[in-house]
Parts: sequence; C-alpha cells; structure tokens
Amino acid sequence: MEELYTHVNTINELLARYGVKFGIYKNNVFKEQLFPFDPIPRVITESEFDYLEKGLIQRVTALNCFLSDIYGDKKIVRDGVIPEEFIFSSSGFLAQCDGVKPPLNIYSHISGIDLVQSKDKTWYVLEDNLRVPSGASYPMIARELCRRTSPKTFHDNRIEDNRNYAKMLKETMNHVNTGGINVILTPGRYNAAFFEHSYLAEQTGSVLATGNNLFVENNNVYYKGYDGKKQRVGAVYRRISDEYLDPMVFEEQSVIGVPHLFSAYRAGNVALINAPGNGIADDKGIYYFVPKMIKYYLGQDSILNNAPTYLPFYEADMKYVLDNFDNLVIKDVAEAGGYGVVFGNSLTAEKKADFIELIKREPRRFIAQEVIDFIDIDILDFDERKPRKADLRAFVLTGSDVRVWKSGLTRFSRNPDSFIVNSSQGGGFKDTWVLSR
Amino acid sequence: MGIISVEKADNLLWLGRYTERVHTTLKEFFISYDRMIDEDEDFYKELCVRFRMPDIYKSHADFITNYPFDENNPDSIMSNLMRAYDNAVILREFLGTETLSYIQLAVYAMQKAKLGRETLVDLMRVTDYILAFWGSIDDEVDDETARNIIKAGKRLERLDLYICLGIKTNEDLIRQYNRLVPRLQNSGLSYNQSVLDTLEPMLHDPHMNYKTAIALLEKVFD
Repeated sequence: MEELYTHVNTINELLARYGVKFGIYKNNVFKEQLFPFDPIPRVITESEFDYLEKGLIQRVTALNCFLSDIYGDKKIVRDGVIPEEFIFSSSGFLAQCDGVKPPLNIYSHISGIDLVQSKDKTWYVLEDNLRVPSGASYPMIARELCRRTSPKTFHDNRIEDNRNYAKMLKETMNHVNTGGINVILTPGRYNAAFFEHSYLAEQTGSVLATGNNLFVENNNVYYKGYDGKKQRVGAVYRRISDEYLDPMVFEEQSVIGVPHLFSAYRAGNVALINAPGNGIADDKGIYYFVPKMIKYYLGQDSILNNAPTYLPFYEADMKYVLDNFDNLVIKDVAEAGGYGVVFGNSLTAEKKADFIELIKREPRRFIAQEVIDFIDIDILDFDERKPRKADLRAFVLTGSDVRVWKSGLTRFSRNPDSFIVNSSQGGGFKDTWVLSR
Repeated sequence: MGIISVEKADNLLWLGRYTERVHTTLKEFFISYDRMIDEDEDFYKELCVRFRMPDIYKSHADFITNYPFDENNPDSIMSNLMRAYDNAVILREFLGTETLSYIQLAVYAMQKAKLGRETLVDLMRVTDYILAFWGSIDDEVDDETARNIIKAGKRLERLDLYICLGIKTNEDLIRQYNRLVPRLQNSGLSYNQSVLDTLEPMLHDPHMNYKTAIALLEKVFD
C-alpha cells in the first residue's frame, strides 16, 4: 500500500488534468477548485462491509417505506410513532407531493448515508441524504487513476472494483424509466458539483441537460434538438433542488427548472430521481425517528446506530440538553453542508445564553447530539502521516433491488482541530476500499 | 448521442472556433515575435490591425508579455483559450473525459508559459495540446454530427482569420473555403447559402475587398 503513497503528486496532477473540481462562490465570484485527494484509503474489511451493507439496505428500505406512507396514508403519524409536528412543519414536506406515487413506488433511488466510526469501532449514522446526494464520481475516477499510477497496489491487495458505479446508476435509471432517454438535469456549469453531473452523464451514456433543453407537451417530457427534432425523456436524474424543479408548482422565479415537469411526473410519464419531497425523510429532526421507522415498517431492530440524539421538542430531552449543553453538538435542522452546527463548549457565556434562549423559543428547529469522538484516519502531509477526522458517505441505490456500492466517499478535514469534513469548507477526499477477502 | 440541443450545438461550434483562434493566433504570434527580435520591433502594430484588435500596447515588449497571457484582455490568446475551455467543459458527455483533458492541459500549459523563461517554447506545448485535442476528437468522438459542428466552427474561424490576416494567397483561401463547405453541409446547422455563393467568387479575386469578405462571412448564420 505504501507504494501508492509515493504517487500522490502524480495522482493529483491527473485529477487536475481530468478536471476533477468543484465550484465555490467567494465574494459572489465563482471559482473552480481542485478537490484535494489523499492517497491513504479508508479500508473496510469484507465482514465489516457485510454488516454495513445489511444495515444500510435495512435503513434505506425503511426510509422508502416512510416516504411512501407519508405522502400516502400517513399511518406512522396516525399510529403516534412520529408526532405530526415533525412532518407538516418541516420544510422538507411538500404538500404538492401528497398523494403522488412515483414510478414503481421508489422515492429514494440514490441515497447518500453519512457514517462515522467511533474509537471503539462502532459505526454511527450521522445523516441520511435522500434529496440529491453527491460525491460518488470522485472516488470512482480517483480509483481509475490510482490503478494507472500504482498497478502493483491493486495487484497485491484484493479490493472490490468501484468503477461499476456508473453501471449501477444506469441500471437504477433504466429500472424506473417510463420510456425514453435518460437525462441528467443540471443547474449548469456554475453549480458546485458540475464536474460530477457531466462525468456521470458521460459514464452512464445519459444526456446532460439544463432546464432550457427540456419541455413538456401533453404531459410528456421531451428533449429538444437544434434541428427541431424532439426525443421523449423517460427518466430525469435531477441535480436540482425540489424548489427549483418546476416554476409552475414550486418556486415561480426558478429559471433552471422545467415548466410542467411535475405534472408529467404526477401523471406517471417520467421518473424523477430522486423523487421530489424526499427532504422530509432526511430532515435532521426525522433522523431521530429512523430506528422507530425500521421497527414500524419492517418489524426489525435497527442494525446501524444513530448517534445519541435529543429533541428539545420533548420536555425530558430539553432538560437533558440544557443540563449537558457543553458536551453536545447542536444542529439546526434547516441547515446542511456543515453549516448550522454548533459545539456547545465552543460558545462564550453570552453566546451560550442567547443560543439557549433560541432553542427554548424554537425547540423544533434544533437537535442535539452527543459528540462522537470518531476515529482519525491518517492523511499524507508531504511525507508525514497526520491524523484527521473523516466521515464516510455510503451510496445505496434502489432499483429492482436495494444495493450498496462497494466503496464510498471518504471526506476528511484538513484542519487538525475540526470535525467538519465538507468540501465546501476546505475538506479533501479519499478512496474507500472494500476488501474482497 | 442522438439529439443535440440548441445550446450544445452553439457550444460545439464555438469550441471549434475558439480552439482554431488559439491555434492560428499562436502561429502568427510565433512568426511576429521572430520578426520583432531584430527586424521590425513595431510589427505588433500591424498584427493588431490584421486581427482587428485595439493596439493597447506601449511597446513590443509589452505586447510580447501581455498579448498571449492577459486574462483581462478579451483579445488575448489566454482569453480565447478560456472561452474554448468554457465551451468544452460543458460538453464532457460529447467529447469524453480523455478528449476534454487536452483543453485542460492547454490551459495549464498557458499558465505555466506565463511564468516560464522560454515563452515561445513553452507556448509550443499549448499548440501541441490543441492538436492533440483535435486528433482526439477524430479518434474518440463517435457522434458524427457533433464532430461536424466542431469542425464547421474550426473551418469557419480559420477562413475568417486568414481573410483578416490579408497575407494568404487566393489558393489558401479557396482551400479553406472548400474545407468549410462540406462541414457546414454535414453539420445540420442552418446557414445562409447565398452568403457562401457570394463569397466564393470573391476568394478567387486577387484584388478582393477584405472588409467586404469578412462582413459577408459574419453573416453566414444569419
């Protein structure tokens, strides 16, 4: 494995050559940045992956059941498992989706589940991302380049090949395709994840489209050509947030969506991947209830652990949060990308008092979690190995069956004192090796 | 790939035009630079006129330093290369990651040349990557229509620049014209045949009015 590390500069040069970048806005100016790659992989043994795979399939299956229920009969609310305050007040719940069934009743085709491993080797789920989780393309292309620079490493170690992600994704799209081409719908060149959109389009043989390229006629979606020809679209892997998807139904100012797209979807004439409205299931408040969902829908105990979580909404939890404030991390349920995360012990007395007042005023807005001292993974800093916090985004694809990609995106913090691993906040990434023996 | 959208067709055409602009202007820069070494220091003024660029340069040294590399000058070679990149980067699914990488490499080579000591030699690498890009298009891009649109842009730009330069022979111009027409026909783009019909006899005329020819060529997609 050490042999691979000697090629770190070459690998990063190749990543630059192939345009493996993400975009960020600084002072309202768009800039493309290389996504720093560290060659020391996260290694997951075969037995460990078996455990994760079972847990992830169980979790995503339950989350799909939840979405189907919540936009259908809402039995889980009627049966008192989840209070209705956590459903209807959530910005992720879209009333427009109520009663709408997606093709084959699949809501979350691509789920990105964020996990960390504590120092006692226990895995914890930190977040479920069921809207437009990104990041699979990075380890996929990095693996290709690592194999070119250090064939010996991959000859000497038995590692599951992760370059099948595009094939899995294509099968997932084909499974729900209602007849027509597969399209990846991007907000455009200036989106942070544009590299991924374009790379996945290339690798899956899909058409990369912006909203301008699509139109709806008689409740069918078409891609329009420069010569006036049109082609029916059967599946749209949209990389646009729900609110911008269709200006006729959601944000009317949206110029990146497709007018009447939702109407075609509601008529069952096109699959939207992932389904609109999934935000209700990856709401940080709903996260607390996922083990209860698994019990409710599947009759099973959750295989994977949630991080110990408290809802100030409940009186007993509020008391616990106030008594243990300094030991907890507080998260604003409306925020994402590492924003809205406050470590209790990082606040001054004055700010702490203000924050506690805010929690008391808006208890539904926050969750509190025990700080998991998750394991460090070494990164290479020039020739020196240095420990850094890292999480794992596992990708679970739901098509004819539920499958876990035998890899994942391992993101790490470059700041030694930080737990925040998001690329938008300066983090880098690693390959994730799943051993095949 | 099947159907190509209006936007993508536009990107393909302009990708062809900008890569050609980088290629031809670099070639002319090499020739002009050589001439400015010990023959005619002010030759850059004439080049500005030929390329229809404002002469914003204080001296030949200023021209040599800034014309290739100044990202804030829309006429610089770097700016044209960045426009090529802007068009290429949204065409990954047509071009393929491998082909696209040559444009990225050309950008890096240009940035490196700006900092280097052997400007002309370093800029040769930019030319190498542009040529590799075009070769890769022939080898890797399966969609014939997409290839034809890029090449229509490339041929159109070359003819335009050759007319602008005013130093090419009628045979040169006719040859470029003859390479452009079949590409336009196969591109599926809507173009103005009457413009071509008017232009063609002009290119045979040794006393051709260059301004009229350029103005005419600009109307080919009207």
